[in-house]
Amino acid sequence: MLDVALVSLIQDMSEKAGVEGTIQYWARVGESLAKRMGKEAYMGWPSFNVALREGRTAFSIEGSVTALTDLAITDVDGDVVGYIYALETCVFNPTIVRIRYSVGELPRADSAVAEEYNNSVRDTAVCNFCVIHQRFREEVAKNISIADQALDCVQLANRGFTGDTKIAEDALKKIGINPEYVRSLLRNYACVYAILMRGARLKGEEEEAE
Amino acid sequence: MGERRKGLIADNPFVDVAACLFLEDIADKQGASGMNNYLVSLATSLAKSMPEEEYATWDDFLDSLVKGESIISAFEDVITVTPHCAVTTECPFTKGWLEYTKRIGTFSKIHTDVAEYYNSVYKPGTINSMCIIHQTFRNAAAERIKIAGKILKISQVAAVWEDGTRKIAPDEWVPILLEKAQITGTDLNMILRNNADVWVMYTE
Repeated sequence: MLDVALVSLIQDMSEKAGVEGTIQYWARVGESLAKRMGKEAYMGWPSFNVALREGRTAFSIEGSVTALTDLAITDVDGDVVGYIYALETCVFNPTIVRIRYSVGELPRADSAVAEEYNNSVRDTAVCNFCVIHQRFREEVAKNISIADQALDCVQLANRGFTGDTKIAEDALKKIGINPEYVRSLLRNYACVYAILMRGARLKGEEEEAE
Repeated sequence: MGERRKGLIADNPFVDVAACLFLEDIADKQGASGMNNYLVSLATSLAKSMPEEEYATWDDFLDSLVKGESIISAFEDVITVTPHCAVTTECPFTKGWLEYTKRIGTFSKIHTDVAEYYNSVYKPGTINSMCIIHQTFRNAAAERIKIAGKILKISQVAAVWEDGTRKIAPDEWVPILLEKAQITGTDLNMILRNNADVWVMYTE
């Protein structure tokens, strides 16, 4: 109910404060949630991945997340500095269905907010809810350390309720993953992101710099 | 209850927890009254965004209510113990609250403080911030429902939160509400043992 109520405010808010205002609102909601969930520390990637599987990390609040351990991210020295993670179902899918059967349709501002986010922040949103998700994960990553190293979360790909997709090709290039492979992951997953050591020297970045 | 109905009632714990924390931020800046205003406008805005309803008879309305087809019962499982007494079997915010206690900790005191504010300024019937949304929504949704040409009215009788905290209407109101609901005080206590909310429905 609260989710549908918040969404019903979006149209109103976008008309009064502009779609930029809605982006700031969702970003603040995501940021506030992440900050209040507290810090986490893990010995290494295996313990983090187990915690994720068992739903103990802050990332797990979004639902079932799979660590794609076959997709390790390595740095220029070949050391593992991160992994790719996939969210099975977008946490907002049930909300969208609830809106359909209670209010009738998503507010028009939904696509306007996503479009503005894609133009002004990063081209990775398929709907307005992506704003809260993506900001939430970025902030959560800041609160988690693995082997005493801080983390970053990088959005890679996502699929919306109606099937439209976004693939962050630049980010994929940096971590050396083929966009077509990630596209195929979207058949089974709603959202794909990377969690990696902050400041890791990635092959793609080095090549780009050269 | 069908799977689709369950899905419609089910809450989104991610958004619920995020919204609760956001509300706490609002309260830090604007106090309980600011938080209350936000909750009331949130619930009113939701009700206004939903379609209006008209029923030829009270029985038609009751049928729609218990099937979850009415906007009043869109987000909660409602049963009727008499034609004028409705009972919400489970608070729609339970899942979100459980997620909050698991991920964040004890529910912040501001959620009960704002309810005290609401009880003193509006109507004395809420236990915490979630009740404000719920009860405001019901009242605003009722204004969008006509039965035999008359607008539906709703009055809160009692609520029980997940931790067992109860809030029953003021003593001087209870006999009137129970009479409208066509139940006794004993009935009310029996209902409260394993349900979340009791409210009266009528037209004038």
